Amino acid sequence: MNQESTQAIAPVAPGIFVVPSGEGSQPRLIGGSCPSCEKHYFPRPKYCPSCLGPVEEADLGSTGTVYSFTVVRTRAPLGLPEPYGIGYVDLDGTGLRVFCLFDPACIDDLQAGLQVRLAVGQLGHDGRGTPRMRPFFTPQRAGRERSG
Amino acid sequence: MASVIVLGVGMIPFGKHLKLSVVDMGAEAAYLALKDAGLPPARIEIGFFASAGASRMFGESTVGQNVFWEVGVNKVPVINVENACTSGSTALYLAYNAVLAGQVEVALAVGSEKLCVPDTGLLNSGKTELDTQLGMVAPAGFAMRAYRHMVEFGTTREQLAQVAVKNRLHAEHNQIAQFRTPVSLEQVLAAPMIVDPLTRLQCCPIADGAAAAVVCSDRVAKSLGRAVDVNAAVLCTGNYESPQDMVRWETDYRSCALAYEKAGLGPKDIDVVECHDAFTIAEILHYEALGLCKLGEGGALVAQGETALGGRIPVNVSGGLLSRGHPVAATGLAQVVEIVTQLRHEAGPRQVDSARIGLAQCMGGDKAGDTKSCTVAIFSRRS
Repeated sequence: MNQESTQAIAPVAPGIFVVPSGEGSQPRLIGGSCPSCEKHYFPRPKYCPSCLGPVEEADLGSTGTVYSFTVVRTRAPLGLPEPYGIGYVDLDGTGLRVFCLFDPACIDDLQAGLQVRLAVGQLGHDGRGTPRMRPFFTPQRAGRERSG
Repeated sequence: MASVIVLGVGMIPFGKHLKLSVVDMGAEAAYLALKDAGLPPARIEIGFFASAGASRMFGESTVGQNVFWEVGVNKVPVINVENACTSGSTALYLAYNAVLAGQVEVALAVGSEKLCVPDTGLLNSGKTELDTQLGMVAPAGFAMRAYRHMVEFGTTREQLAQVAVKNRLHAEHNQIAQFRTPVSLEQVLAAPMIVDPLTRLQCCPIADGAAAAVVCSDRVAKSLGRAVDVNAAVLCTGNYESPQDMVRWETDYRSCALAYEKAGLGPKDIDVVECHDAFTIAEILHYEALGLCKLGEGGALVAQGETALGGRIPVNVSGGLLSRGHPVAATGLAQVVEIVTQLRHEAGPRQVDSARIGLAQCMGGDKAGDTKSCTVAIFSRRS
């Protein structure tokens, strides 16, 4: 991941995460919430599916727990690494279970119950070769990182 | 209310048909179904044509009108249907409802798909969907269900693999299946890993193929000797709410329960099942949703041979998607062809003894950790 070029690279979809300014800052997942239904959504829908009212932008935090995962070992779509890990993470505090990519360096650590935090980096492209920033989850404990 | 029957079925062998187009294959299946029903094309009052990929892969639209005119069906309403892997069973659902409503006496449902072309790649559920952009591919959704089933219920890799072994064994007796050579448990487990924990032999292969069914009211048939009743045909959409439980698949349970309720039947009444074994874990989840066993016991059910030919409740005696291959929009109707053949007692060496009631279950597409659509139809023998 090239830190210098990240400013120029567009996210895979607009408005799904923020990376606060400052060295080593923690990215946060952005979704929506309906003030009258008190429900959270990811990604943010235009209308609340329950009441069709307006949905406000909501900070969904940056931590959660792995619910399930798999490692895809076929030819990867969208220039993703081969192999790559994906799964569902239960976000802390919102009740949401979201689909996500996992840190390509940590696919051997994945298991249900693993606590993870959000990261953002250049991962794959847009389908036509233009690099994209994608959100992914990585283990909260950094003690077991791959040395390669 | 009209009694709805399947009067004729037809399908072509699934596999690589390099010289046949989507239209060629669909027309052949339609021809076979009309001949089987003993009806001329002029008797068809409405046609439903299913293809999931014709417009995307070949840039063709309104293919149904081309297919139906090949077998002399014109002037009447023709509707082109796309509903992912349930496209064919959705066509059947529409045909069933048209007859049930009394709108027509005879309807023709056809599904045709051509997938054996270069760079087909893995199916996804729309390239603009965020999940797709984050790397979601069809096999991965089932792999995540498999892992979760293992975590919660202790389901083993061997139990998963046993589904593939069983269905290949069944396919040995099905001349229209693509892969008919038996495979051992060791072979299934040693095959290349596609999406952990599913190996290549646990993922259905692609195929070209087509299948069709003539659906009508019982007033139409001159002889009802080979007619099969449709007791229920339901179509449900996913709920897409978060969190999704990946092993207590609400949409699957809801669809099965609705079909049983409409048919006035339950799991104990069913003699033979064709279900959507796109991946081995899928069949295990469908056992549980269909009530063939309790939650979490699907792995044991297949390991004990209960769902094999000769077992308590045979499932996918055709060989299933795992052996037939999966020409997406043809699959749902191929299941109907198999169930009708079983209920006519014409299935030869793979016949389920004295089968009276059969069920076809199909699922298609991914969205938000759920399926896009699920169909369940229940059929019964008249005598």
